[in-house]
Amino acid sequence: MAFLKRRKQSFEGGGLVLFMDVHDAMRGERVLKKADYAVRLVAPPPELRKGCDLAVEINLVEQPGIERLLREKDAPYVSVVPLKVGTSELLEIVKVTDFGDWIMVMAANMKLAFDKESGIIVNTSGGGCPDIPYLHAEMIGKKLTEAPRPKDVGFTLCALMLDRALEESLNLWRGGSQP
Amino acid sequence: MMLIAGTVPVKGLPLTMGKVRAKGEFLIVDGHRIPCTQGTGAMISAALVTTEYLKLEPPQVLVAGDTGQGSGSREIYEYLIQKVAGLSPEVLALHYCLPDMALTRRLCESVKKCSKRLVMIADAASMYAAKAAGLAAEFDIFTPDATEMAFLADPEATHPAYIARHLFDTDIAQTPKLIAAAYEHKDAAKLLLVKGATDYVVRGGEILATIAEPDVPALEAIGGTGDTITGLVSAFAYAGLEPHEAAIIAARSNRVAGEYARATPATRVWRIVEQFPVVFKEHLCQWSGVCYIEGGQQ
Repeated sequence: MAFLKRRKQSFEGGGLVLFMDVHDAMRGERVLKKADYAVRLVAPPPELRKGCDLAVEINLVEQPGIERLLREKDAPYVSVVPLKVGTSELLEIVKVTDFGDWIMVMAANMKLAFDKESGIIVNTSGGGCPDIPYLHAEMIGKKLTEAPRPKDVGFTLCALMLDRALEESLNLWRGGSQP
Repeated sequence: MMLIAGTVPVKGLPLTMGKVRAKGEFLIVDGHRIPCTQGTGAMISAALVTTEYLKLEPPQVLVAGDTGQGSGSREIYEYLIQKVAGLSPEVLALHYCLPDMALTRRLCESVKKCSKRLVMIADAASMYAAKAAGLAAEFDIFTPDATEMAFLADPEATHPAYIARHLFDTDIAQTPKLIAAAYEHKDAAKLLLVKGATDYVVRGGEILATIAEPDVPALEAIGGTGDTITGLVSAFAYAGLEPHEAAIIAARSNRVAGEYARATPATRVWRIVEQFPVVFKEHLCQWSGVCYIEGGQQ
């Protein structure tokens, strides 16, 4: 008689949500699973441990959507960190290119270009996550001040970087100096 | 068969596979309409225009709607894992998706079961997942931009948002150093087409060619112009060109199309795509030796 063994679903997330106590970790896992995120409870490596010895492994790319959901559900957590020890902090710096009538702001792999005179977003480029083409369609043609914030409607690190580009663009549009 | 797989920003679009055709600014797959905008749509459009010009079979595309929550991405991965060996495409180009290391690992295992060797190309988040999972060397072609090149050069980063600041700050002139680092850590595909102010075509760590003319800086700001390069290189590889030849011609074609379209940061990508037939007609014979005349092949 042949035995059928159910294949264990493999998961490699690359990120950890850290919690202060075990109760919070179990609650966080329930909230995320209910929203169909692929997650699992794990013991964080000692060098990443900040609170309790239980963490939730997540797909790091989904960090912005996951943090937003935990906040919305009042599920307390300490922080989200990359699982690989030695990974750099999230990029905070931006680069600005002046194209004459337009300015392009780049944050990590994401770029946003706007019209200097009208403040209208004329293009977004870069990235590779599935919310980026959606945000491209939602943001182009809108004023910087009226465009949806990628951090509010996107789900991925690409969206978070696009939000950084938008934030810097707003700063420049309002008369701030270039970084 | 050339198979292009990726998500599209169409809410509710089910997993769909079929031959693609163009209709105005849209693509039609199995009756579904996909916009030719940044992402998989722009890539497919460029590949389709190229196969049409070369009188090749149009690309088969595998698409699903996904606006960031990942369900469409996972459907595409699972379909490919189950079916790719049976489909055995000559070229498999992977594009926008929610990067998933475990599913990419399973897909690479399935690809090994194909009856013949295929050309594996990855751009966008499919490339992120391949690198993060340590599978880059199993791919034939990656098409990173300058920041993504820094990501490939950072052995610890699993996404470009987490690259080391000194790598992000690196001047474009330092790209060869990033290339060397990526190959040293086995985080590069066999061939890289690095898109930037200067495009680099690199095989196994050796820079084979650089392309800097015509210089059209606005292309960087236009969403989808990196995707069109990936579509072009996929189609030229499908046409039988060696990967490095396909990459060089793709980079040249994109630049010249940008020049012909008089690209500004406000230009839409389909304006670039519609220039490709003109570019091919004027330059492809000279660049590649693939020459067509009215009524037959030269």
